[in-house]
Amino acid sequence: MNNPMPPSQEELRYAEYVLGVLDADARTAVEEEVRADPSAAAAVSLWQRHLMPLSEDIEPVQPAQYVWVRIRESLGLDAAASTRARSAPAADRAGWWNSLQLWRWIGAGATLAAAASFALWFVAPAAPQAPASAPAGPEYMVASIAQDNGVAGWTATMDLKQSSMVIVPATPAALASDRSAELWLVPPGEKPISLGVIAPNKPTTVHLRADLLARLSAKALLAVSNEPLGGSPTGQATGPIIAKGAISGA
Amino acid sequence: MSAVDTTEREELAELLAATSRHDQRAFAELYRRTSSRLFGVCMRMLRDRSDAEEVLQEVFTTVWRRAESFDPSKASATTWLVTMARNRSIDRLRQHRESTMDDTMMLDLADEGPGPAANTQSSQERKRLERCLDGLEPQQKSAIREAFFSGATYNDLAARCRVPLGTMKSWIRRSLIRLRICLEQ
Repeated sequence: MNNPMPPSQEELRYAEYVLGVLDADARTAVEEEVRADPSAAAAVSLWQRHLMPLSEDIEPVQPAQYVWVRIRESLGLDAAASTRARSAPAADRAGWWNSLQLWRWIGAGATLAAAASFALWFVAPAAPQAPASAPAGPEYMVASIAQDNGVAGWTATMDLKQSSMVIVPATPAALASDRSAELWLVPPGEKPISLGVIAPNKPTTVHLRADLLARLSAKALLAVSNEPLGGSPTGQATGPIIAKGAISGA
Repeated sequence: MSAVDTTEREELAELLAATSRHDQRAFAELYRRTSSRLFGVCMRMLRDRSDAEEVLQEVFTTVWRRAESFDPSKASATTWLVTMARNRSIDRLRQHRESTMDDTMMLDLADEGPGPAANTQSSQERKRLERCLDGLEPQQKSAIREAFFSGATYNDLAARCRVPLGTMKSWIRRSLIRLRICLEQ
């Protein structure tokens, strides 16, 4: 198009539509034309290519993390299904596991599904350097530790190979300043085992001893109790359970 | 187009293609890479966080359901996504606010800056558009920018700039004609 003609009146309307100055009725009329007439569609898409670069001037704004959760929930996306599709190459595991940003994201996402899918973001793009050894069982387990009102207080992700659990606050109810939240592993038919005090505002990492690892299963629960500052003085929960959730394979 | 632009463009197009096959990881990655840009667009137009969040949700819901309608031969992924975010935002503006004019939004267009188009991060397309915008009268350039960023109707723009409706229409239309000639040379 070395010698473009001035646009016709009609084409000007498409430009006005893309710019955004038309009222609702005129916009609807253009949209109907675009659906019915390929030349109208082509004209509109040409103007979109012309004008959309202006949007580069707009400062990006990070949306709140719950927006993504709402999107996923409204679409009924099942992240757990895609989690099983691929296991992490060993070389990449430490990278994403240690990514604090990831854990903050997951905590804010507050759902297991979010945990599962976001873990995959970090795992999936990297090309495996060496074939990952085939794991005998699940490499990861997850739990959403929900409060009585149904809102996730924390999410826990267990990396069985690294014997490590990261507990990320989602939206835990505030405790009094002289109280602490303490995490418990509750294996079926056993007394709760303390995993220590967990932070309300940042991820907490817990090392999983062999005896704890052996007790992680889909029948076990994680529970959080409201304890005196620093944790239960007795080794058993002394305060009310404020949140709990079942463990499942990721 | 620079190599960086090309890579970004191809990667986003691939993510959209994978999303159309209902690849949830690709969709999540697409969201991670584009949501703040699109949210910026919505916030700028709607000037209300909760409205902008709803529109962003609509946009990505539509992307998930209709990603197959993206045609990389017609537009880049970014253009496609930004267009959708703007259209949804404008629809919402028209539904809720067509008749209201907020005095705090009155703008003196003469004060509108040139924008960061000289920024080295701008795309080739953006730089070329800026060269063409620079060929317009300053007031008309400002009117085009304000129209694009606000999504306001001719009526609202005229009121904001305190010029008659006919003047605003003539500014914008002449500018669009000149832009098209400049951009397609």
